[in-house]
Amino acid sequence: MPEKSEQSKRKNIPERFQVARSTLVFDQLMNQLIKIGGIAIIAAVGSIFLFIFIQILPLFRGASVTYDRTFDLDDLEVDAVGIDPWSELPLFVSPDGTFNFFDVADIGTDYNRGVFTVRPDFPGDTEFPFVRYDQRRNTALFGTGDGRFSAVEVTFNQTHPPHRSREVVPVVTASPLLRLGRDDAPYEHIEYVDAGRNKLAVAIQRVEGRQVVYALTLSQRQTLLGPGPLTREREFSLTDLFEGEPAFVRITADTDFVIVGTTEGDVHLLARAADRFSLRQTVRPFAGTADEGIHSMDFMFGDLSLVFTNSEGRNVMYSVFHDEERGYRILGRTKEFERLPFGKGATFYSTSLRNKAFLIGAGDFATIRYATTKRTRWESTLDFEVRHAVLGPRYDKILFVDTQNRLHLFDLVDRHPATGLRAYFGRIHYEGRAGPEFMWQSTGGGDDFEPKISMVPLIIGTMKGTVYAMMFAVPIALLAALYTSQFLKPELRRIVKPVMEIMESVPTVVLGFLAALWFAPIISGSVPSVFLVCVALPVSVFAFGAIIASLPKRMRVLIKDGYEFLYFAPFMFLVGWVAWSLGPVFESIFFVVADPDSGVVVADFRLWWQLNSGMSFEQRNALVVGLFMGFAIIPTIFTIAEDSMSNVPDAFRSGSLALGASRWQTAVNVVLPTAAAGIFSALMIGFGRAVGETMIVLMATGNTPVMNFNMFEGMRTLAANIAVELPEAAQGGSLYRSLFLGAMLLFLMTFLVNTVAEILRQRLRDRFKAVE
Amino acid sequence: MADAEKEIFPCPMKRMKGNENSVRNVKTPPGEAGVWFASMGLALGLSMVVLLFGLIFVRGFGFFWPVPVMQIELQDDSEAAFRGATTFAGALAKTQQRTDRIVSESVEEFERDQDEESGALATIVDTYTEIQLFVGNRDFYGQSFRYFREDEIQSTTFPSDIVRAERRIEGDGIFYPQRIRQVDGSEITVDEDGFEETMARLVREARARRAEINRIDRREIGAINLEINDIHLELRYLQRHADEGEARERRIAALEERAERLRESFAILEQRADELRQLNRGNTLFFQRADGSEGQMAIGDLYRFHYPNRIGIFDRVVLFGIHFWDFVSGYPRDANMEGGIFPAIFGTLVMTLIMSIAVTPFGVIAAIYLREYARQGPLVRSVRIAVNNLAGVPSIVYGVFGLGFFVYFVGGSIDALFYPMSTEMNVPTFGTGGILWAGLTLALLNLPVVIVATEEAITAVPRGVREGSLACGASKWQTMQRLVIPASAPGILTGMILAMARGAGEVAPLMLVGVVALAPNLPVDTNFPFVHLERKFMHLGFHIYDVGFQSPDSEAAIPTVFATTLILIMLIVALNLTAILIRNHLRKRHKASAF
Repeated sequence: MPEKSEQSKRKNIPERFQVARSTLVFDQLMNQLIKIGGIAIIAAVGSIFLFIFIQILPLFRGASVTYDRTFDLDDLEVDAVGIDPWSELPLFVSPDGTFNFFDVADIGTDYNRGVFTVRPDFPGDTEFPFVRYDQRRNTALFGTGDGRFSAVEVTFNQTHPPHRSREVVPVVTASPLLRLGRDDAPYEHIEYVDAGRNKLAVAIQRVEGRQVVYALTLSQRQTLLGPGPLTREREFSLTDLFEGEPAFVRITADTDFVIVGTTEGDVHLLARAADRFSLRQTVRPFAGTADEGIHSMDFMFGDLSLVFTNSEGRNVMYSVFHDEERGYRILGRTKEFERLPFGKGATFYSTSLRNKAFLIGAGDFATIRYATTKRTRWESTLDFEVRHAVLGPRYDKILFVDTQNRLHLFDLVDRHPATGLRAYFGRIHYEGRAGPEFMWQSTGGGDDFEPKISMVPLIIGTMKGTVYAMMFAVPIALLAALYTSQFLKPELRRIVKPVMEIMESVPTVVLGFLAALWFAPIISGSVPSVFLVCVALPVSVFAFGAIIASLPKRMRVLIKDGYEFLYFAPFMFLVGWVAWSLGPVFESIFFVVADPDSGVVVADFRLWWQLNSGMSFEQRNALVVGLFMGFAIIPTIFTIAEDSMSNVPDAFRSGSLALGASRWQTAVNVVLPTAAAGIFSALMIGFGRAVGETMIVLMATGNTPVMNFNMFEGMRTLAANIAVELPEAAQGGSLYRSLFLGAMLLFLMTFLVNTVAEILRQRLRDRFKAVE
Repeated sequence: MADAEKEIFPCPMKRMKGNENSVRNVKTPPGEAGVWFASMGLALGLSMVVLLFGLIFVRGFGFFWPVPVMQIELQDDSEAAFRGATTFAGALAKTQQRTDRIVSESVEEFERDQDEESGALATIVDTYTEIQLFVGNRDFYGQSFRYFREDEIQSTTFPSDIVRAERRIEGDGIFYPQRIRQVDGSEITVDEDGFEETMARLVREARARRAEINRIDRREIGAINLEINDIHLELRYLQRHADEGEARERRIAALEERAERLRESFAILEQRADELRQLNRGNTLFFQRADGSEGQMAIGDLYRFHYPNRIGIFDRVVLFGIHFWDFVSGYPRDANMEGGIFPAIFGTLVMTLIMSIAVTPFGVIAAIYLREYARQGPLVRSVRIAVNNLAGVPSIVYGVFGLGFFVYFVGGSIDALFYPMSTEMNVPTFGTGGILWAGLTLALLNLPVVIVATEEAITAVPRGVREGSLACGASKWQTMQRLVIPASAPGILTGMILAMARGAGEVAPLMLVGVVALAPNLPVDTNFPFVHLERKFMHLGFHIYDVGFQSPDSEAAIPTVFATTLILIMLIVALNLTAILIRNHLRKRHKASAF
């Protein structure tokens, strides 16, 4: 109303009542300022969630592939294709033993080198009917028609000439032509792995209409002038070790295994021990399907897993892992991918050298799949028929050569291939593991490490810490709150409450330090004592109470109501001390075991637990964390529960007492049910605090992600995980964002729990208001 | 209804009737045992608080108290002997009961014992007492603490001429001084008169020189180092930018000249420090350890010494004070295990200050808006609940936000705009953790606390005050400014100081946004521009974590950590007490003046 006719109103007001214009202006200004400021601040605080959410969004995006350009290769002979580490210099290997490099950076400038040819110093005009390029090892393999082969290593050096950010200069180093297999048959396939001391070449040849497999060990002498030439060591014929017609052959990176795929559909794992090959295992990847034959078989990055397709387009993966029962490594099926469309087997395959992604396809269909999560990162039907395909080593380019001898380049952007819902919450069969499981192990040695980023062990760890903390804190806090609000003398209550609340201000880093360095060593050797104390205290207090209650009245009045805890405290210390001292006796009766290492019989709960439960015993364990985290949440629960109990309207209590109920009956039957919502909200808020507690868990456990609720083992919680890993995580990387996801889970958990608690509390408050 | 009655009144009226005329023998009301049970909760909770604080105070203050040194003689066959020697001298650290866990040497023997039912009990519970001595001399023993079985100790003495020496490296030493060889070659042995005075004088002189060395190192050389680093960064940056003409060349020349001049003064300072160091190495103390082995050290490496078994209570108190002061005012050394914690205290205070400067205005404005300006309704109600609940969101989440938003986003943008050099050379200035970001992160963490406290304080101002003011013709803002805000100031201040107490003790988020175990420079110093908000800093809480968990000998670190804990707790208690005092003071003033 005053805004309506400010002017007219001003005129009507006598002058002595008029407000100075400056006052009004200032008032308006402040009004607006506070409104804007207030809304902005609240919005800013609310945007914390939004910011974290935006940070984790990229984790759930697929790959984006964009067309870059096409080159006509004209009559360039292309038998094998490769690319340099920076994806700037594709190379084409031709059967006459030459490499054609094609500079695709800075196209159209004077500095571009176009196509240039490099030929290793092969003797004369040797022709190579078999040519293959191994992108993983940057090695081209040449096979002659008369049973000789050469491995040619291509090294890419980057130089920085003026006016060009980078120029990649290839250097090819050829091994001598070495004899492998029969000299009268061409090669179907050659595989060569150089694992330092162990070098192994395997080849398939076609002899009289039958495929045969030969293996050759090689050696290279180190001289003062660098490595000497490769020399043959010993040749083996592997054909008789297995049944079936060999079609594919691969060697693992450590040269311990040769894996042979047959046209019938069997895969044979041949183990190499010193100078002997033996058949270890045979599996049939497509057993039970319409076509059991194998159409393609290729290693994924890391050379631990094989990707198979059959002619129906089925796509499965087998990995080498250690088998507990047998005590050695075997091949086992780990993944089944989506079927390739059109019912065709893969005709091209290329693996990323950064992660566990691979490019696979047939004809004009190409797709990128991520092995760990089985996710299809990208798929597309192209407008050409693919003959060769290569995934850039840095997982940033795709290169196709089509049937019309054209080179197509595509840009690939896929920053977080290893993530996704399944990676975070699914049970995954990781490479080298015996079965599917939930695991967190974000970093490891080597480029080919497979990150394991399941949130499940962290959530379990969080729950574990919280449950143990609540088990300890809830009884003490609620009993203390009940006693303080219902039975304690009001004068004492004014002292007791602040004392309990002081505990809330103790920094958790202090509690963590005490838990880990002071308390953990004390209780690790005295677990039976701890249990005895936990049992003895409640039992003794009931006994104590019962004895006092049965005393005659004239003795009972000596103990004033409202001071019980003061009388009980000395008794409690006595009981606690006795129980603690009896611990070793207890231990020597019930927890006597023979140490399996030395044969000595000892009374040691730690050893007893390990031997009888099969679980481990650590000094810094969930019990310690539970006790000290309980410490941290007792004041929280106590304060809120006490408030809600003492806020129960006096009318309720007076009525109950007047009707003859005892004070205990009043407390349990009248006060507790009335304040139940408040007590519940106290528990929720305590829970929320325990969930997010970082320092105590960080310091008082070993921070190993586990999937059990073993009281004597540590855990890793979501919060501690962030504190451990985030300082080392690269900004914007998958791990960084995954940790943000962990933070968001924590945020959501505590925010939801607290909101429920707050709503309950408000409702309770309204109800009390109605009564009063 | 009848059921409910039964539930509430299970007390049988009949029994009461039977006894109604014998008032003296009233039966105990039902549930008294339950009351006792509930009292256990409070007794436990309170004793936990008392024990916790007691432990911290006793162990914390015990760190500074000069305790007597006992010399013990072990049995010859003791396993605790060190290099054949069975004599040790040290300060008693703790005494504990140990249980001999071995029941029998083999399973057969154990089964035989069981069969005889001789009661393995008697033989099993073998406890013995173990003492832990702080033997010092870490260079000799390898660790500072050693355990001894009490029943192996043959004799205990408290020799009066044993010395406990605080050394620059390898912790304290405990030994008998033998003689001092001075820089001029003269020697004075312990039997001669004036030995103690000479030693005290030499130590004092060395201390003065060390203070000078530290001043040169920290102040002057530190300032030069900072500038040289900046120049090097700029030089590298300029060299990268190849074609920017003559101005660039001139700049490079100027920078190089400046660097050269700085290097010269650096060399001069370094030389002076070296001369002082040389002087400090001149006097040598020869001593004998408790086991008879001989050793020697430069007096310059000796910080302080005292005769722990000779001094009286007054000297002990003085020493206690000196130790305490050294601890709170000194710089850490020896991987934070020795020395003081001044940088950590200072970092904590500055960070807390930044936090409170940031949090107070925002918190108060938001609260005033919510309570006085926003239209009260379901929306504001839910905003209030949300703000309230943000206080319960784990601190580490704020740390994650601080790292992502303040450090990488805001800090990265500041670097990109104003520090092109640090962006290009990948030496972030604001784009990495620092005290400003830590302060702001904690401000955000505490914003809900301040908002809630302020709102409560504003709500507590009676409605009549506002209405009276408005009725007298004051504008809304005048009412706020002159009446509501002053009246609620005690509440606001309390909220703010509680937020400071919480901020001072918080560690987890700081680990992500700029706290370090050892910061070379303080965030506020005498170098221009005096306040360095981008610097990393030390923090008491993180110091506890670092010393307790990252140090090579965590057993030896425990006393230091207890002392640091004590300081942190004292700081927080002091903050809490200040909050209470200020609140009471303001409350009184406003009661007197206004109404």
